[in-house]
Amino acid sequence: MASIKLYTAIFGVLMVLSTMQAALEFTGLLEEFYVPIMGVMLLLSTIKAVSVAGWYMHVFDEPRAISYLAIAAVIGVLALIAGAAYSIT
Amino acid sequence: MMTPGSALLRHAAFAQVSRTPADVFDNLYLVFLVLGTLVGVVVISYTVYNAYKYRASDPDAEGRYDVEETPPEEDGDGVARPQVGEIPTGSGKGGGKKLFVSFTISAVIVLGLIVYAYSLFLYVEDTNQLYDGEDTEDPLEIQVVAEQFRFTYVYPDGTTTEELRIPKDRPILVNVTSQDVMHNFGIRELRVKADAIPNQYNEAWFQAEETGTYEAICYELCGVGHSSMRGEEVIVMEPEEFNDWYDSSEAEKAEVSG
Amino acid sequence: MGENGHLPPKSNIKRWLVTTNHKDIGVLYLITSMFFLVMAGILALLIRAQMWAPGATVLDPGGYYQVATSHGFLMVFWFLSPFAFGFANYVVPLQIGADDLAFPRLNAMSYWLYLFSGVLFGISFFQGATFMGGWTMYAPLNAPAFIPNYGHVGSFAAILALVMFTGSVTIGSVNFLTTIYRMRAEGLRMRDIPLFSMSILLTVWMMLFAFAALLGALVILSSDHLLHTSYFADVDGNPSSGGSLLWTHLFWFFGHPEVYIVFFPALGAMAEIVQTFSGRRLVGRKWFVIAMALVAIQSFIVWMHHMFLTTINLPIKTIMMVTTIGISLPFDLMVFALIYTMIKGRVRWKTPFLFVLGALLIFIVGGITGVFLGAIVLDYSFRGTYWVVAHFHYVMASGAVALIGALYYWYPKITGKMYNEFLGKIHFVVAFVGFNLLYFPMFVVWETPRRMFEYSAGFTFWHRVASVGAVLFAASFVIMIYNLFMSLYSDRVVDDSPWAYTGSTEWAVPSPPPTENFPGTPSFTSGSLRFLEGPEATDGGVEGEEATPDGGQVTAAADHGEPHPDHASWWPVFAGSSALLAGIGLSGLSPSMFVWPFLFALPAFVYFVGAVGARRDGFTVLHGAFLSASFLLLAVFIALFHVTQGIITGLESAPTYFWLALAGAVLGVYTLVRLGFESFYVPEPTSSAQWPFGEVENTKLGMWTFLGSDIILFGAFIGSYVFTRFEFGWQDWWHVAHEVGGLEHHPVWPGLLNTYILLASSFTVVLALVFARRGVGTTEIGPLSVENRKLTLGFIGTTFLGACLFLLNKGIEWVDLYFHQGWTFNADIMSSTFYLTTGLHAAHVVIGMMLMLFLMVRSYTGAYQGEDEARTIEYFGLYWHFVDIVWLFLFPLFYIL
Repeated sequence: MASIKLYTAIFGVLMVLSTMQAALEFTGLLEEFYVPIMGVMLLLSTIKAVSVAGWYMHVFDEPRAISYLAIAAVIGVLALIAGAAYSIT
Repeated sequence: MMTPGSALLRHAAFAQVSRTPADVFDNLYLVFLVLGTLVGVVVISYTVYNAYKYRASDPDAEGRYDVEETPPEEDGDGVARPQVGEIPTGSGKGGGKKLFVSFTISAVIVLGLIVYAYSLFLYVEDTNQLYDGEDTEDPLEIQVVAEQFRFTYVYPDGTTTEELRIPKDRPILVNVTSQDVMHNFGIRELRVKADAIPNQYNEAWFQAEETGTYEAICYELCGVGHSSMRGEEVIVMEPEEFNDWYDSSEAEKAEVSG
Repeated sequence: MGENGHLPPKSNIKRWLVTTNHKDIGVLYLITSMFFLVMAGILALLIRAQMWAPGATVLDPGGYYQVATSHGFLMVFWFLSPFAFGFANYVVPLQIGADDLAFPRLNAMSYWLYLFSGVLFGISFFQGATFMGGWTMYAPLNAPAFIPNYGHVGSFAAILALVMFTGSVTIGSVNFLTTIYRMRAEGLRMRDIPLFSMSILLTVWMMLFAFAALLGALVILSSDHLLHTSYFADVDGNPSSGGSLLWTHLFWFFGHPEVYIVFFPALGAMAEIVQTFSGRRLVGRKWFVIAMALVAIQSFIVWMHHMFLTTINLPIKTIMMVTTIGISLPFDLMVFALIYTMIKGRVRWKTPFLFVLGALLIFIVGGITGVFLGAIVLDYSFRGTYWVVAHFHYVMASGAVALIGALYYWYPKITGKMYNEFLGKIHFVVAFVGFNLLYFPMFVVWETPRRMFEYSAGFTFWHRVASVGAVLFAASFVIMIYNLFMSLYSDRVVDDSPWAYTGSTEWAVPSPPPTENFPGTPSFTSGSLRFLEGPEATDGGVEGEEATPDGGQVTAAADHGEPHPDHASWWPVFAGSSALLAGIGLSGLSPSMFVWPFLFALPAFVYFVGAVGARRDGFTVLHGAFLSASFLLLAVFIALFHVTQGIITGLESAPTYFWLALAGAVLGVYTLVRLGFESFYVPEPTSSAQWPFGEVENTKLGMWTFLGSDIILFGAFIGSYVFTRFEFGWQDWWHVAHEVGGLEHHPVWPGLLNTYILLASSFTVVLALVFARRGVGTTEIGPLSVENRKLTLGFIGTTFLGACLFLLNKGIEWVDLYFHQGWTFNADIMSSTFYLTTGLHAAHVVIGMMLMLFLMVRSYTGAYQGEDEARTIEYFGLYWHFVDIVWLFLFPLFYIL
C-alpha cells in the first residue's frame, strides 16, 4: 500500500503524459512521420496503462499470477488484432 | 513466406503432378483415404482388442455393483490401481515408453502427410505459373459475381452471361465476388471452389479435361433460396467451338443460350 | 449450517427456485440441458426427414433453415456445454474438497440466465421466424437488411438469447476459476486435482476468453440491428467493405476454442471413467494434462483454418495450417494414453465404460477425418459439404456420447440408486449402431452440399440410411430416460462408491452427498484424504459487493428477522427472469424507442438503493437525498421523452414490447439492489493461501478474472475497429471523413478533457480506499479534523461527479457530431466504429456509476471503514481503473490517430 504522496505523483505523471499525447498531435508531426509517431502515441498509452494497473490497481503488490492473467488476455487480444489485420495484407 | 524450402517443395510437386486441381485432389484424397483407413483400422482394432483382452472376468462382488478391489499388495502387475482419496502420482510400470513411441509414430505420419499436402497446396495456390508455360495458352480470366440466388459470369471482353461456357484443356482463372451476402462458388467435378464475399475478390483456377455440362453450386448458406442456387450451367466446349461462340455477337450468344 | 442450510426439502418446488447449493444447481443444469437435447434432437429428426428425398419435401425453405440453424445453436450452446456443467457443478467442488462454489448466488444466477436464455430462444420461434442464417451467423446475411421482414424480431430475439447465454457462461467461468484456484482442500496441489476437474479448469479458461469475443461479436451485430450501424451492412442492404471477413474472424476466434470447450469436459470424464473401469491410473497423467493445456492455449491461434477459402493471404494460411496440425498432435497423445491405460487393467464392460469406449472409437474416426481437412487442398473441396458435417458430428457427438457415459457413471452418486445395467447396455448398442448409421453415410455421400436440401438423386439411398440411423439414435435415448427415471424408484441403493477402483473424493462421501458435503474439513496434507474435526466452514460475510460482515450494524429488524446468512435466495431467479423480460422487450423495439425503458430504470435504481438501504441501515439524510434525486431524475427523463417522442403519443403508440422491456429493466435493477444488500452465506476457503494466487481473496480473484474477459470484450471491439480501418486504408480514415463525409473536424479536445477527468476519478477512488482503510476515526487536514468516513464518502462522491462530467462532455460531443454535423450511426463505417466502441466504454462508466451510488449509501453509514471492510472499495476500484485504462487507449485511437 503506497502513500498518498506516491499516488499523487503518479497522477501528475499520468496527466503530463496525456498532455504530451495531445501536444504531439498539435505539433503536426503526425502528418509527416505517421508511423513512428503512432508508435510513440501507443507507447505513451501503454506506460500510462501499466502505471494505473501497477500502482492504482496494486498489481505490483499482488502475486505474479494476477499479472499473468491480465497479460494472457492482452496477448489474446493482440493475437486477434494482429492475425486478422495481417490476413488481409 | 516463399522460403527457399517451400520453393523447392513446390518444384518437387510440379515435377510429380503438374496437372489440374482436380487431379491433385484425386491423388491426394486417395493417399489420405488409404492411410487414414489403415491408421483407423489399426488403432480401433488395437483399442477394442485391449479392452477385451484385459477384461475382468470375475462377477460383481456381494452387495456391490462391481468387482471386488484387489488390495494393492496382492497386485502382481506392478501397475498403480486407483484408491479413494488418493493423490494420483504415476501410473506404475508400463505404458509411458509405449506412449511416446506411438505418439512419435503418429506425429511422423501426420507431419509427413501435411508436408506432402502442403507442396501440392502451393502448386494449386500459385496462379502465376499459369502464365509461365511456353507452349500453353494463358488462362481464361472470368469474373464470377454471386448474388441471391444466381451466379453471373463476366468475360474479359465484357460479355456477361448466366452460363459459364469454357474451353476444355485451358486453365480457367475465376475471380469471385458477391453483390450481397456471402456465397461460395463451386463446381463439384472440376474441384474449384471459392468464397464469394462482398467487396472482396477471390481467385481460383481449374481446368476441364472433358467436354460436357457441369453443375455450379453455392456452398455457403446465403438465404432462403440457397438450396436452389445450383444449376447445370457450366458448359465445357471444344476449344474451336468455344472460340466460335466467344467471337460471335451479343445477339447470337443470346440465341445460343436460349 | 447444519440440516439443510435454510433450504426447503427437495420435494418442495420452492427449494429448486431459491437453492444456491452446487449439487442442486448441478441437477437443474442436467435436467434442463436434457430438455434442450430433446428439443434439438427433434429438430435434427426434422432435418433428416427433409433429407429423405431431394427437395423441400417436408419443410418450406425458410422453415428448413430455421430448423437447421436452431439445431446447431441448441446442441452446441444449450445442450453440450450446460450438460457438462451439470456434472461440473455437482462433482468439481466434491473432487477438490470445497463446500460449494466460491460464489453460490452467482452460480444460481448463471443457471437461471441459462434457462431463461433458452426460453427466450424458444420464444423467438413464435415471433414470426427465428434466426435462419446458420449457427455460424455469417455476415452480412445476419444483418437486418438480409433477413426477411417476418423474421426481424425473432432473429434479433435469438441473438439476444445468445447474449444472455454468454452472460451466464462468463459468470460461470469466473465462479469456477475462483473456486478451483481458491477452494481446494489443503494439501491438494493444482497438478493433483482429478482429471475431470482439471478439464473443467481448462474449459473455463477457454470460456472466459472465447465467450468474451463472442459477446463482442454479438453486441456489434445487435448494434447493426438496433442502432442501424453499418458494421456488416447498412439498412439499405449495402454490405460493408470488410464486414464479412470481420465476422468470420470474430466468430471463429470464439468458434474454434468453442470446439474444445464442448469437448474437454467429455475428455476429462473419459479419463476418469477409463481409470475407474480399467482399475488403473491414467498412463502418462502428467503428459495428458500438459497436452490438454497446450491445446487450450493453441486453440486461440488456429481460427483461420475455418477461413481457408476466404481471401486471407497465403502466409497466414500457412501459419494456420501449421498451428492446426500442431494442435492435432496433443490429441494423439491423449488418445494413446487412454488406450494404454486399459493394458494390464481390470477392464469391466459396464455401461459407463461402454459409452466411453464408443466415444473413443468415434473420436478416432473424427480425428482422422479432421486431418483430411487440415490439408488445405482437400479442405478446398470439402468446404461446405457433408464431409464437414460428418466430421464435426463425429467429434462433437463423441463428446456427447462420452458425457452420456458420465451420466451413467455419476447417476448412482447423484441419486443414491443404481440404474438398470441391462437397459444401459441395450441403450449403448442401439445408440452406437444408430450413431454410425446416421453419420458414416455422410462420409460416403460427402459431395452433398451442406445446408442444402437439394442433392443428387444418386445420393438418396445413403441419405435414407442416415435418416434411419437418426431415428434409431433418437430412440436409444428413450430407453435411457425410461431407465434413469424408473431406477429412481428402485431398491438398488448404493453406498459411497458402487464402483471398484474409484479415486477421487466424491466417492468418499455418501450417495447422494449431504448438503454440507463432508463430515469434516477435507485435507490432503497427510498424503491422502482425511476429514479433520471441527467446524468446517464459518458462517459469515456477505457475498458479492461486500466481503465481510459489517461491524454490528445489522439489526434483526432491518434484516427481515434473518440473523444468520442464508443459503436460499430468490434474487438469482428474479435476475434471470428480468433479463428474459428485458430481452423479449428489446427484440421488438425500434431504434427510437428501445433506450427509454432502460433510461426509466435508472431513477428506479436510485430509488431502490435509497429505500432498501434505509430499511437495512436505518434512514439517514443521504437516503433521503437518493429518494428525492430519483424523482428529479425521473422528471428529467420524462421531460426528455416528451421532447423527443411526445409523452402522450409516445406512450399511446408504445408497443407491448415497450412495457415488457420496462418491466424487465425495473425488476432487474430492483433485483440487483436486493442482491447487493442481501446477507448471504459465503463458503470460506479451507486455507487462506493457495497456489498460484496466494492470499488474493475470492472476490478479488473473481473481479480480476472478470476483468480478463472484459479485456477480450474490449479487444474484440478495438480489434474490429483496427481491422475495419486497416481494410479501409489506415491513413485515409479520418481524412475521408473530413473530405467526403463532410465532417468538419474531429477534435482532440473532448478526448483530452475526458482523459483528464477519468484519470482524476481514478485518483479519487484510490484516495477513497486510503481513507476507508484508516478505519473509524479522523484525519487532520491542515487545521481541519475530518472523519475518515466522510472522506471516504467524499472521494467516492467526487469520483461519481467525475463520471457525470465525463458523460456530460461526451454527450455534448455526440450531440454536436450526430445532430449538428449529421454524422449519424450509419453515416459511414467510421461513425459506426466510433460511436459503438466509445459507447461500450460509456456503458461501462454508467455501470460504474450505479455501483458508486450503492457504495455511497453504504459508506455514509461507515460500512467500509477498516482494513477488511475497505476491500469492497478496492474491488470497485479495480473495475473503475480498468475502465480508465481502456479509455487511455481509446483516446489516441479515436481522437488523435
